[in-house]
Formats: sequence, C-alpha cells, structure tokens
Amino acid sequence: MTQDILILNACKWIAFIIVLFVSPPILLGLVRKTKARMQGRVGARVTQPLHDLLKLLKKGETLSSVTSWIFRSTSVINFAVMLLIAVLTPWLSFKPQVFEHEIPYYAAARAKSADVKQHLPVVDGLSAKKDAALAKDLAVSTATGVSFFDVSTTGSDIFLIVYMFALARLFTVLAALDAGSVFGGFGASREVTLALLVEPAIVLAFASLGCAAHTSDLNLIFSWTASNPIMDLAPLWFIAGFALFLASLVELSRMPVDDPTTHLELTMVHEAMILENSGRNLALVEFTHVLKMAVLLGLTGQCFLHGFYALAKFDHWLVALFSVLLLGLLSIFIGVIESATVKLRWTKIPEFIAYSVAMSLLCVFIAIGARR
Amino acid sequence: MKELLILAAIPTFLIYFSLAVPKVSITRKLTPILHWSQLGLVIWMTWSVLTGQEPRITIAPGLALDRIGAYFVVLTTAIMASCVTHADYFFEQEKTSIDESSWHLRIFYACINLFLFAMTFVFLCDNLGYLWIGIETTTLSSAPLVYFDRTKNALEASWKYLIICSVGIAFALLGTVFIFAASQHGGIGNGTLTISELILRAPALSFPLLRLGFIFCLIGYGTKAGIFPLHSWLPDAYSEAPAPASAMLSAALVNCALFGIWRVVQITQATNSHSVTFELVAALGTITVVAASLFLVRQHSFKRLWAYSSIENVGLMLVAIGLGSGGLFLLQAINHSLAKAAVFLLSGNIIQGAGTKKLHGLHGIIKSSPMWGGLLALATFAITGSPPFGSFLSEIAILTASANTNHWILAMFLVFAIALSFVAICTHVGGVLFGAPKADFNAVQPLRASIVPAALICGALVLGTVVHVDFWMKLR
Amino acid sequence: MSLDIYEMLALSAAVVAILMLGTSHLRLNFWLYGIHTVIVALEAWWIGGLAGHTDELFLPNIFGAIGLALPQHTVEALFFGLFKGIGVPIFLGSIVDKVKVEGDTGTLLPSALSMHLAIILLGVSYLLSAQLPVLSNDADTKIGAMAAMSLVFSGMLLMLTRRLAISQILGFLVMENGIYLFALTQTHGMPMIVEMGVLLDVLVGVMITGLLLFNIKKSFEHIDVTQLTDLRD
Repeated sequence: MTQDILILNACKWIAFIIVLFVSPPILLGLVRKTKARMQGRVGARVTQPLHDLLKLLKKGETLSSVTSWIFRSTSVINFAVMLLIAVLTPWLSFKPQVFEHEIPYYAAARAKSADVKQHLPVVDGLSAKKDAALAKDLAVSTATGVSFFDVSTTGSDIFLIVYMFALARLFTVLAALDAGSVFGGFGASREVTLALLVEPAIVLAFASLGCAAHTSDLNLIFSWTASNPIMDLAPLWFIAGFALFLASLVELSRMPVDDPTTHLELTMVHEAMILENSGRNLALVEFTHVLKMAVLLGLTGQCFLHGFYALAKFDHWLVALFSVLLLGLLSIFIGVIESATVKLRWTKIPEFIAYSVAMSLLCVFIAIGARR
Repeated sequence: MKELLILAAIPTFLIYFSLAVPKVSITRKLTPILHWSQLGLVIWMTWSVLTGQEPRITIAPGLALDRIGAYFVVLTTAIMASCVTHADYFFEQEKTSIDESSWHLRIFYACINLFLFAMTFVFLCDNLGYLWIGIETTTLSSAPLVYFDRTKNALEASWKYLIICSVGIAFALLGTVFIFAASQHGGIGNGTLTISELILRAPALSFPLLRLGFIFCLIGYGTKAGIFPLHSWLPDAYSEAPAPASAMLSAALVNCALFGIWRVVQITQATNSHSVTFELVAALGTITVVAASLFLVRQHSFKRLWAYSSIENVGLMLVAIGLGSGGLFLLQAINHSLAKAAVFLLSGNIIQGAGTKKLHGLHGIIKSSPMWGGLLALATFAITGSPPFGSFLSEIAILTASANTNHWILAMFLVFAIALSFVAICTHVGGVLFGAPKADFNAVQPLRASIVPAALICGALVLGTVVHVDFWMKLR
Repeated sequence: MSLDIYEMLALSAAVVAILMLGTSHLRLNFWLYGIHTVIVALEAWWIGGLAGHTDELFLPNIFGAIGLALPQHTVEALFFGLFKGIGVPIFLGSIVDKVKVEGDTGTLLPSALSMHLAIILLGVSYLLSAQLPVLSNDADTKIGAMAAMSLVFSGMLLMLTRRLAISQILGFLVMENGIYLFALTQTHGMPMIVEMGVLLDVLVGVMITGLLLFNIKKSFEHIDVTQLTDLRD
C-alpha cells in the first residue's frame, strides 16, 4: 500500500470514529427536540445529550455495596459489545472501514469450502444432475458460490449480531438483578419478556432478507453492489423495514411500549434496570443506549432506502446522503410517535409486538416466493 | 325499455304515495287495487310469451323475457297482490298501537312496492350483473319487512337475515366475476355478462373458471334461497316477520333466488357436461329436503314449522333444477307459492286470534273457528303434497324425472323425506286443529279473513286437477 | 422479481387488510379500512388507464357551462374511493359515536393469531392464484389475484372472529373490496353499470345495517352478536 492510500485510510478511520461517537447522541437530541416542539415548548438544543454525556463523565460514582463484579463490569462490557456491533453492521450504508479487505482467515476458509465443493465425491452411477441435486441439498447455491450457511466473510453474520444484542441484554438484566432492588427485578423480568416476544420479529426479518439474498452476512445483504440478488425486491425491503421499525420501538423502549420520560417506577421497563447506575457508569450506559438506537434505526433506514432504490434507481453517491437524512427523519418520526401515542397497558403490548412478528412472517413468505 | 317503465310505474307511484300520505288506511285500501291492475298489466304485456307465440321479448340490452321468466313474473305479481289484499285485513286487526306504527306501516308498504319491482326486475334480467343487483335489492328491500314489529326478536332476525344474505350474495358476485372471466378467456372479446350470449357460446367458455363461477353462484344464491347449511336465517326471518310479509318472502322471494340458480345452470347446461354440475345441484337439493324434514319433527313455533316446510320445497325445486327441467321447477314453484301463501296468511289469522305463536299454545282451532280450521287443514294438505292438490302432481313428476334419469338413491331419499315431513306437519297441525278450544280465541271477521287463502287453495286445487304434467316437463 | 405499480398497490391493500385484523380498536380499524379502500380505488384508476378503456362518461352540464368529459375508469375509481373509502368510514364512525363502543375486546381468536392466520392464508391464496388461467394480453395477473383472494379471506376472518356487529359490517366490506379487486385484476373491471349498481347496493346495505345496529344497541344494550341467540329451535 502506498503512502496516499495509507493517509486516505487514516482519514476515513478518523471520520468514521468521529461520526460514530458524535451522531448517536444527536439522534437522541432530535427525538427530544421533536417531542418538545410538538408539546409547544422550545426544548433543549439538539446536541444536549452530548453535553449530558460529557457532564456525566466528570461526575463521581456511587456504588451499592451489595453489588458484585457483574454490576461493575456490565457497563463496560455493554459498551464494548455495542461498539463492536456498530463497527460491524452497515448502519451507515457503507461497509465499515475495518473490513475493507477480507479477513485472511475467513477468506481461506471460503476458498477451502469452494475447493471442497469442486471435488464433491462422485459416487459411481451418479450423473452431473445428481451432483447438482446433492449440492442443492447442502443448500449451496452454485451461482454465486456463497451459501446461506457459509462462514461469513465480513464479520457481521446475522446470528452473531443478534446474539451480541442478546449478550448486552443479558448483562444488563444481570446487573439489574445484582443491585438487589425491587424495581431492578421487575424491570429485568419485563425486559426479558419483551425480548422473548420481539426476537422472532428481528430474526425472521433478517433471516428472510438473508434467505432471499443467498447469504447470512448483513454487510452482503445490505450491500449496494449490482450483484446483490435482492436489489429489486421492493416489497420485501419495505415490509422488513416496517417490521424492524416496530421491533426497534420495542427494543429501544420507546412509546407505545415504554415511556422513557416516566418517573413512575411501576411503569418502567428499561429505565428501571439502569436506576442504580451513576456517574461514569451512567455515561457509558447512556451512550450504549444511543448507539443501539443508531444501529437499529440505521438498519431500518437502510431497508427503506433499498426499497426506494428498487422502485427508482438513484446514483450511488446519493445513497450515503440519503442514509444520513433517513436516520434523522426516522428520529423525528419516533419523536412524533412518542408525542402522538399513549403507552400501552402491559397486557396489550404482545398485541403490538404481534404486528411486528406478523410483518416478519410476511417477509418470510415473500422471501420463499422470491427464491423459487 | 318502455316495458320496463310500464312495469315500474305503479310500484314507483305507490312508493311515493305510501310515504307521502299520512293516513295509512288509504294506502292499505289503494295498494291491493293497484297491484291487481299491475297483474293485469303484466299479463297483457307478456301474453305473447306466455302462450308461446314468441319465444322471448327483448326489452333493453340486458333485459329480456322468456317463457319461464314470464310465468314467474305473473306468479309473483299475483302472489303479491293476494298478500297485499290480505294485509289490509291483517293490519286492521293489528292496530294495537296506532300512531307510532303508522310510520312503520308506511315504510312497510313502500318497501313492499320496491320489493315487487325488484323481483319483477330479477325475472326480466338477461345479464348476470343485473341479476345480482336485482337479487341484492330484493334482500335490502325485504329487510325492513322482517323488522316491522320492532321487537328484540325481530331485530335479531333481520340482522341475521341481512348479514347472512349479504355475505352469501357477495359469494354470488365472486361467481359472477369468475363467469365473466371465463367469457373473456373464451374468446368473446371483452367478455360478456349477457346470459343468452353466454348460453350461445357456452362450449367455448373456459371450463375451470366457469365451474368455479357456477359453484360460487350456487353457494351465493343458495344462501338466499335457503339450502341446507346456509339456511339459518330463514326460520328466524319468516317467524318474526308479520304474516303477509312471511307469505311474500316465502312464496315470492324464494323463487327469485332459485331463478338466479336456474339461469346459471342454464349456462352450464349448454356446455354439454351435465354430470358434474347437475349431480351437485340435485344432491344439494336432496340433502336440503332430508335435513328440513328431520328438522320438522321437533318444532315448537307455528311459523317456524312453515319455514322449514319452505326449506323442504326449496330443496325439491333445486332437485328439479338439477335434473335440468325448467318446467318442473316452474310447476313446483307455482304450487308451492300458492299453497305456502295460503298457509302463512291463515297462520297469521290464527296467531292474531290466539295471541301466541307457540304450538303448544294453539289448540282446538277447528272448534273456535271452523272456517279457518277447515281452510288450514286443506292448506296443509296442499303444502305437503297430497292429492288432489297441485303439489302432489309436481312432486310425483320430480320423482319420476329422477327415476327416469336413473337417480335411484336421490329418489329414495326424496320419498323418505317427503313422507317424514308429511307425517310431521300433519301431526303438528293436528295438534293445532284438534283439542280443547281456547277460551280467549278472538276470530274477528272470519269470512273476510278467509277470502284470499280460500282463493289460493282453490288455485292449488285447480292446478292439481287440470294440469297436464307432460306439458310442463317439456317446457324449457 | 420486480413488481409493477398495480401489483404493489394490490399487495399493499392486502397488507393493510391484514393489519386490520391485528387490532380491536374500532377507530383504527376504520382508518385502516379507509386507507385500504383508497388504495383499491387507486388501483382501479391505474388499471383502467392501463387497459385503455376509452369510453368516456360525459357528465351533464349541471355546473354551469362546463361539461366534464372524464374517462370511465376515473369516474369509477373516484366514486369508489369517495363513497366507499371516505364516506363509509365516516358513516360507521358516526354510528360508533352514537353507540359508544370503543374496542372489540373478547374476540373469539386472539388478534395476533388471526393476523398470523391471515398471513398463512395469503400464502394459500398465492398457491391458489397460480392455478388460474392468465389473461393473455396483459402482464402477470397472479399477484393481483393473490391479493384479492387474501382480501376475501381476511374479510371472512374478520366476520367470523369478531364479536361486535360493527366488525361484521367491516368484514363484509373488506370482502366486497376483495371481490372488486379480483374483478379488476382478472378482467379489467366489469361493465360500468354493473359496478355502479354493485356499489350502490353495498352502500345502501351498509346504511341499513348501520341503522339496524343503532337499534340493536337501543334494544339490547350491547352490540355483541354472539349474544343474539334468543331465536332458536
């Protein structure tokens, strides 16, 4: 690599890092500003959450004496996991700077499996047709050489991402239980219930996208190259985007599932779990939350963007611009929804989640239909 | 086009008249007179088709009158006229709460006239789309008739009627769309809904679509007619409507729905693939007859008894259609209409006199009012198909026809069912007629109340003695 | 697999109808129904333009000297969208106001399950629509037929699993929309008089059932059809 490319890469890295740390709090600020405007107030400035985070970083911390290492390490673990997710997934529509080149290990693995496919054992009597049938049985698509079950080559396998979200959630729940307070306990139980209900929606939506795209790698699914099999499949993108949007409302504990501004602990889900944090821990926890918001909204926006692209092709350089715009629009839209809806009663929330699951089911059907 | 306007003139005038004039008794007296003149008008207009001089009259694009349609129009108008004549007496007796019910009565009469026009329109239709519109209009215009009493039960009955029949008719619309699609695929250019054209070009139509359309139309119009699994609205509606309305619904509306089925069967018949569709229709008819006769065994309410008897006759007519004979269908329809109208009108009288609809509350009628009791006995024989009345001949003809075409099992079931229903109905009516007379039975003006039913029964008698069955079997 | 506009419209109408099944909040149902009918009207307008029906309907000179000549499909779509898509929800909303019910709780099937069932039925209608013969002079009509059949199924589900009388009316209307869409996609629409007559009949039917419903509320103090069981053998 020459000097210019090194400098270019360094600049891209720095730009990416700045965007990564600065834009998610601005999204939260947009949501709050929209809510304020709709309520007739002027509201705090859009960059207020950034200032809040910086303020929190300087403050001291109070730790409960009954907590263990779980509580102390949760915020850091979650922060690390969420950063990893943000770096791996294509929530800003371009492949993350880290993996521009294929990871050598995975590239070797892929070459080896392709090699294996070339020399599949030919049992005497079997003709080429049987070979193809056998290959089909192994769910190998001979066209692109990549199968749904291939080892992901760019590090953002669907299941990896979903399980990383689950890992973060696990530690949050454990930390809430660790503090020993009542509110932490039932906040944790509610959070787990909601996660149970909404996970099929997210997994099915991503899985149907992957099934139709013949790959399980999010970067490849959301890629903007012409060889992506699902570039044209507008209904799948729109419905998946709709399902993901509803699911992210649940995951991010927004209305109508959970009121983020409530001060009544009995109605909290997410806030109840992070009650015990303070100071630097709280800063990390808050930042993790906004990063999660950015990733989920980004992925949803990408779905819609792909849908619009399938309807009316536009230039590629517009894609990046639209991605950012769409992130902002989605935040504003969340602000509008927060102002316009009421929090659902706890027993009614499964009905709301059912919408998301139903749309994901629809995606599955469309994906199956598209693959035939 | 002018024929349609002539036919529409009297009903339209009467609609406005009933709604505008506040004194209902004038409407009550005027309507029968105008309806009988409508009958005369109809007979004069359709004379050439009735006597077979012309095979059909084309009235407008999409409206035409053929022989069977003409007979049905005459029958319908005659039945309506008789029922309205009796309704004059009936509502005079029904004057329990005069003032608030006069507005209801005016709406009732307005709806009757709309109903008459809609039914006439149905028989004139040569276009499947117009047929659908006509039958749906008959549903909509007869719902207020069922709801006349404004009681809770009447409300429930009219709700069920409206919803079940509307859903059924929506299926018929789907069937119509399928047939339209079949015609588009069958090389008739942009497709056509005109029945005569469809019959003409039937072999060219796309058969799978046609068969699908036929099945949906059968389900849809069959719901309206009251075939077995879809009949649940029928007993409720017939028992809650006032007696003249029940008579009209049972004697005239059922014919409309079956006429719709008949038209679709005609189209399918022309494709020379008798077995599939006909087995279906005839089998469905037989199932309906058997089910109705089983229901008839245990009945508790007078009018529901006659409602199930209507379902049984619908099944018989369906068998006649399924055997491909339009003449037998027409004959059974005429006999059923005359007898059923007489029965419902008499039941109305008796229920008014006794004050209850329940069978166990009605007994000893033949002693309380010999005229009504005697007429009821005669009407019962007429409706169950015993000689010398006309329905005997028509039922025998249907049985003969099914035996002629080697449908032995069908014939067996029909015989069993008809016998069972005869026994059941006669038992129930025997309980009504005989026994100790009720003390508070109030037969007001028995003579005047008996004229119309007596006339109808005489008509049934005439049909039973004078008609040549062969003539009807050859009728197409 | 890229879809034309009319296929997208048909599919979105089917999806909105499926969404209708997932909520028992009556006003939301009316809104979704209105949106869904407007989408069907848009599709009618689009397909009419595609098929090139050139009969024009000359509206009479009742507005002064301006005689309006609109293509037939525009008039049809306009009537359909206005009366069925906007008029009917407003009418039903006024009835619900007078009757004072808010939600159709206690449905016979949990709303989530009925939504999933409707989606499965969408798949079933895809299989069924694959068996229909295709109109030879046009693009693939299978998606339209699939959407129409799934609308009919959703309407039937609505009618069968809901308790309140007003949801039964909605289910019936959705079924009618499905049948209309079916006629539209398979046959480019039936003759105009027939369609207008059908629309008129459906509207009058809705009005009569609305009035009946109001009376049911007055007499029975509820509009729960599962409790209308007085009449029995």
